[in-house]
Amino acid sequence: MKILHLYYDIMNLYGDYANVRAMERMMLKNGIECSVDRLSFNDKAVLSDYDFIYIGSGTERNRNVVCEDMKKYRDELKDCIDSGKVILMTGNSFEMLGKSITGAGGDAAEGLGIFEFTVSEQKKTRNTADAVFTADFLDRELVGFINKCSEIEGIDKPLFGVKMGLGNKNDGREEGLRSGNLFGTHLTGPVLIKNPHFLTYMAKLVSGADTELSEEHLKYEKAGYEITLKELSALNG
Amino acid sequence: MKRLLAIVVCKILRVVGKIVGKGSSLPGKFALKICPDVLSRVKLPEYIIAVTGSNGKTSTVEMIAHVLTQNGKRVAWNKEGSNQIEGVTTMVLCNATLSGRVKSDILLIESDERFAKYTFKYISPTHYVMTNLYRDQLTRNGHPEWVYDALSESINDNMQLILNADDPLISHFGYGRNNVVYFGADKLSTDIKENKSVYNDGAYCPHCKKPLVYSTRHYNHIGHYECKSCGYKRQDTAHAVTDVDLENGRMTIDGKYNITLALRSLYNIYNLLAAFTVGSAVGIDGEKIASDLSDYVMKNGRVVNFNVGKRPGTLLVAKHENSISYDLSMSVACADKRGCDVLIIVDAVSRKYFTSDVSWLWDIDFEMLGCENVHEIVLAGTYCNDLAVRFSYTDIPQEKIRVFSGIEDAYNYLNSDRDEYIYTVTCFSDKGKFLSLV
Ligand SMILES: [Zn+2]
Repeated sequence: MKILHLYYDIMNLYGDYANVRAMERMMLKNGIECSVDRLSFNDKAVLSDYDFIYIGSGTERNRNVVCEDMKKYRDELKDCIDSGKVILMTGNSFEMLGKSITGAGGDAAEGLGIFEFTVSEQKKTRNTADAVFTADFLDRELVGFINKCSEIEGIDKPLFGVKMGLGNKNDGREEGLRSGNLFGTHLTGPVLIKNPHFLTYMAKLVSGADTELSEEHLKYEKAGYEITLKELSALNG
Repeated sequence: MKRLLAIVVCKILRVVGKIVGKGSSLPGKFALKICPDVLSRVKLPEYIIAVTGSNGKTSTVEMIAHVLTQNGKRVAWNKEGSNQIEGVTTMVLCNATLSGRVKSDILLIESDERFAKYTFKYISPTHYVMTNLYRDQLTRNGHPEWVYDALSESINDNMQLILNADDPLISHFGYGRNNVVYFGADKLSTDIKENKSVYNDGAYCPHCKKPLVYSTRHYNHIGHYECKSCGYKRQDTAHAVTDVDLENGRMTIDGKYNITLALRSLYNIYNLLAAFTVGSAVGIDGEKIASDLSDYVMKNGRVVNFNVGKRPGTLLVAKHENSISYDLSMSVACADKRGCDVLIIVDAVSRKYFTSDVSWLWDIDFEMLGCENVHEIVLAGTYCNDLAVRFSYTDIPQEKIRVFSGIEDAYNYLNSDRDEYIYTVTCFSDKGKFLSLV
């Protein structure tokens, strides 16, 4: 099993790196050999070599620099998405996949153009919120946090439903982007740690295992999830 | 007339507020309602010194106030750390005569980073100290560059900026500017070659986003950096820590001014240096500042000694959602050669607002507690499970770690006949829950 953590040193604003460690551990605990490559600007990864690709969140400026650099992967990445490779992009990283990102100053930067959506940012208010999302492929909600300054227009297939928190449009009920095995969400940080059931789901996709994976090592993760879900549900009334 | 009314109302509310134990921002809030631009309508003293930054501003302000008052200056300052415009208004108006003249030689303002632009629209600091920009309360602040952008709107051309040269992001406010005084630390014996933290905010140049190269690092992204691509680099300092000996609690500034440390952390030396730099800027002799700062014990409750049964210990206040404050507090425990146990409490992420976000735990360098001076680690509070998960990703053997959701259960566990000194590391929001037990 080969994992690629792309732009690990710059798209790691909210402890996002933990997602990669969680996936790696899930594999190892299930007796699946696993290695991780952490690559950045000066590397040229062969995306098709990997079973799981991850990119985390960054500052707006850093994400823009990364988006420029990502253009070298544009076609390769599109092939990976089309062929069903498992890819997780959290925070503002998945915004790169759209047509354009318009910054707070009104300047529009070209995205990778793999999808049709457009992103617009502002610099007046940081849009942050605790979040509870639903997913049609999971039997329980997801918990997490949103930390962004953008809104997205034109996503046909969202990833999550918003029970609490912010959507692609701040007041929208749809969040993220799903296309085959590409999962994009504005949830920040260690999403796979906070949501052990999501980790298990993703790990099964990555490993292609037809039997259930062991979750025995996720005792504290599960307890933490229950507490956070309870707190957020109480907050939500 | 409005000004007079605002001043009177503010003073009365402050007196009443003190009796009923209310905070210091409410009087200012009412005064601003009566007269929104009241701050620009008072006669201000010659020196207006402002301090902002992610970490250390409260301590730095307290030290500056100490130095200035020790040298006969009358100082008005926001002692209670209410650092948004309302709190600053309360402080200024309560120190003003009814005719609107501030009765001190120096106005000293601690300012919140995001709100400085509102406060300084009315009061322009003559000296503006900026300590650092770290990952701090990101659930509200977004990220350091977001705060940088907010702060940049609080600066004007007339201010004398006083910047930490060792922080590449905060130092960038001095880019292309003349009236800047830099402070920083020379290469120190405690320096590290590589960043050992779990993240690196000094990886890329804040100016051009190409890689930054460090010749030495004090901690995290604080050190001597240079961008080979655009030439942006650490600036020469007007005042520098030239030597530090944490073990014996000593530091030297500019090669000749010796200060003995009440709190032996790298954190503290920057606060002291900033206070020294301000003291020098207003014309106080270096020798005198150093002696005033020597053995100065902070009054802001960030270090508290306690006993659990017969076991002595020290509570070091870190800030939740602020990994560097944790790193620096924990490094005090790691340096204790007597051997110690460490208690970490995360029960409420913030006392001011609710969030269940614990992403910041993944930015803290908990790995360091694997050192031999730390014997046992006790994790407690509502988020003990999230802490336990984080620790499971360190190399620390699981048998060194105990997990309790109840803080009292953790206390009872620690109330044993073990010989180890106890360090408790937690936030303002949770420290009372522990201190009420000891
Ligand atoms: Zn540069």
